[in-house]
Amino acid sequence: MKDMQIAQEQLVCLYCVTRKEPKLREMLGLANNLYCVYYEDLCAVARKVEESEFGEENLKKNLADLEWVKAAASTHERIIEQVMTNTDVIPFKFGTLFNTDDSLKAMLKEYGEEFKAILKRLENKQEWGLKIYCDTERLKQSFINGETELLEIENEINSSSVGKVYFLKKKKDELIKDTLKRKINECGQETFELLKELSFEARVNRLLPKEVTERKEDMVLNSAFLVGKDEADDFINMVDTLKMHYESKGLFLDSSGPWPPYNFCGLLKEKVQHG
Amino acid sequence: MDSVITKSKDVTLLEILDRVLDKGVVVSGDMVISVADVDLIYLGLKVLLSSVETMEKLRGSPFIGPTQEPT
Repeated sequence: MKDMQIAQEQLVCLYCVTRKEPKLREMLGLANNLYCVYYEDLCAVARKVEESEFGEENLKKNLADLEWVKAAASTHERIIEQVMTNTDVIPFKFGTLFNTDDSLKAMLKEYGEEFKAILKRLENKQEWGLKIYCDTERLKQSFINGETELLEIENEINSSSVGKVYFLKKKKDELIKDTLKRKINECGQETFELLKELSFEARVNRLLPKEVTERKEDMVLNSAFLVGKDEADDFINMVDTLKMHYESKGLFLDSSGPWPPYNFCGLLKEKVQHG
Repeated sequence: MDSVITKSKDVTLLEILDRVLDKGVVVSGDMVISVADVDLIYLGLKVLLSSVETMEKLRGSPFIGPTQEPT
């Protein structure tokens, strides 16, 4: 009984899968008690974590604690980035936990061929993120005195009776709303298409509300790109050009990277199961 | 290349959470916590998100990209 309890005190937390690298083991040994679990030429980078922190019930409790989540998520990311400096990685979602090294190994065996294919596809590539935020008021100011249709309505308002003014103002508001939407779409489309041209893969993710972003502007695009390491400079230059172009219009491009390819390592099995 | 150092200036916690909790490979197996739980936590983190409704509303993005997130 006592032995069983001891066996359950630690769990195996998986961070990423990579190709077996001779130097990796030495590097990992230096920090965080990381170790490798091997299967054929694959290597899973893992760490023993405490049951008291990561066990099912305790983890649920901890996940409700923002401070804990911040620290744990940052550690997860930092570990994967550390491995990424030396080799290509397949990053795993936070909270991928196993009871034993053997069960982790069994998973490697099950998905092994696919992991190898993904690593091949990801070779020498990295993820970059681009979010666009919109200051609606500023965007409005950027076109309000330039759009012919709006100027026409404004003139009409100035020379109309009170009753008519009401409807004209309503029409003007509608027009402003439509124009805002169009400008945001144009910016999003142009940016996404141009950056996609410089990438191997690209995807659009869901938008995040202000409560999450803690910015006063609305998020209007949340996208990710898989960029070749050799093309990264071109990609960054393009982002900078677009950034300067749109800034004065109240559209702010916010890029980040390089990231582990979180957005570009979906498993086929997963899709088959759900589809 | 040292990615930690070259990483562009403001990597916010948002950027990390947006990936670590929401993306990355998901496998079935000997899991202690189900992935769905982490999804729920990501959507439900009280301090982060005041309501899932807001999220749902905002999912109808004004920008319809060619590569929509698979649902």
